[in-house]
Amino acid sequence: MSASPTQPAHLVVEATGVGKVFGGGDGKVEALRSIDLAIEPREFISLIGPSGCGKSTLLRLVGDLTNPTSGTLRVNGKDPHQARLDRDYGMVFQKATLLDWRTVAKNVELPLEIMDVAARQERAREMLQLVQLGEFAGHYPWQLSGGMQQRVAIARALAFRPSLLLMDEPFGALDEMTRELMQQEVLRIWRETHTTVIFVTHSIPEAVFLSTRVVVMSPRPGRISDVITTGLAHPRNEDTRESRDYYDKITEVREALRRQERGAG
Amino acid sequence: MSHHDAAERDLDILETHDTDVLAAFEGDVPAGTRTPAALSRRLRHAGPAIIAFLAVVVVWEALTRALDVQSFILPRPSQIIERFFATSGQIWGAGWNTLIEALGGLVAGTVLGVGVALATVRWVGLREGLMPFAIAANSVPIIALAPIMNAWFSITSPVSKMAVVAVVVFFPVMINTARGLIEVEAGELELMRSYAAPPREVMRRVRVPHALPYFFSAMKVASALAIIAAIVAEYFGGPQDVLGQYIIAKANLFVYPDAWAAILVASILGIALYAAVLLAERLVMPWHVSFRASDSS
Repeated sequence: MSASPTQPAHLVVEATGVGKVFGGGDGKVEALRSIDLAIEPREFISLIGPSGCGKSTLLRLVGDLTNPTSGTLRVNGKDPHQARLDRDYGMVFQKATLLDWRTVAKNVELPLEIMDVAARQERAREMLQLVQLGEFAGHYPWQLSGGMQQRVAIARALAFRPSLLLMDEPFGALDEMTRELMQQEVLRIWRETHTTVIFVTHSIPEAVFLSTRVVVMSPRPGRISDVITTGLAHPRNEDTRESRDYYDKITEVREALRRQERGAG
Repeated sequence: MSHHDAAERDLDILETHDTDVLAAFEGDVPAGTRTPAALSRRLRHAGPAIIAFLAVVVVWEALTRALDVQSFILPRPSQIIERFFATSGQIWGAGWNTLIEALGGLVAGTVLGVGVALATVRWVGLREGLMPFAIAANSVPIIALAPIMNAWFSITSPVSKMAVVAVVVFFPVMINTARGLIEVEAGELELMRSYAAPPREVMRRVRVPHALPYFFSAMKVASALAIIAAIVAEYFGGPQDVLGQYIIAKANLFVYPDAWAAILVASILGIALYAAVLLAERLVMPWHVSFRASDSS
């Protein structure tokens, strides 16, 4: 369904018939069934769908936090495990998971220390400027608001310049105003860093505003039901949110989600 | 943090009365502030505790005088203070020897406890096999081992007393440190996994810092237990110039104010050891939630 004409070697993510079953026997749960998805460099892909549609599981499969039980999954032309060892992933979760005992700058330096990257302080400063938290370098996480903490998490995820940024409902815990600001920020960062992003959300407007393509998923078992190209012009801003095209795309995604509800009876 | 609270709660049963009083005004005091305003805030926090302490002493003095209580039942505070200064050379000498036993045992028990805790993270089998027994051992009166230790390590040697202290200290330190090392948030471990961080890095950058609050909670309990265990171990025999033997000797001679003066030394040592742990805690983890200055005061 999303087969693109590009050569597979250029794909960031290539999933063919990927399935995931948790447990065995009577407690067996089929989380994902025959997922086919190809993601090209510099795309911004949102995974959207109701709870239990396996969108987070799919993200975790790509990030090698769990393994598929069927099908093949390639990341940058490699096994996801190898891609993780090659540090191809930056990850941002719903919780910022900043380490309490480290300052903001030291939190951003964490992956750099582990990867033994040189010039860590400069890089951390640069990343904090990118997320516009330059003057908070010496603060501790508890001194920041939820939105600021999440921006630190993004800076940390991008600090080692991963080719793929995986975001699992990163703004789920933020209020609506902060959320819209953060969306704007993420788009700006995405355009400045040329990173490919996979973004899990259950907000339709968020998915449409951010993405190049929205992957609509349906539950029991989790599968891809639609892939919708947004085609909205860049840069996207407050005007985008009030544009006709934006509303049309939101409607299109909403109808795709409704269709599967009817399908499921 | 909530983990820290949980660790504190688990230790509640073990906390002695003394440490509870100190813990009561440990929470809200801002760290590292030496301005006059901070000092006065500190005094204001400590105020109620100081007043309560003085009130108890005054009531004690008044009642023992009014009811003419015999000194072998309960001496007057003024008598205890008088003997405290009159015998200071002897009781502080004994106190020093007891402190050495307590410290030796505390260090040995802590090193062993932390060592085993680190091992339980590395080897899951060890953890599953050992922890139930450790938790059980933590709830039995280990102090009863004192005569056995006297037999093992020679009754005349301070090592036998240190051994008792070490065994008493070992379990709370081991159990709490292990819990802090193991009960790390799943999200933090996934983050480290996404960096392809080797186990050594996970230990160093996530588990150990995470375990520090648990460790210090255990050390607060252990520091009080160390003095208690040393003195109880001394009651079972050994050299005379230690607090336990001094207290027994004075009690046998019915010179109770002298015994109470020695008990006062033991209390001062216990509090000093506890305060040293608090100080170390603040130096090692100034970031911790319990030291954050509250804006409200």
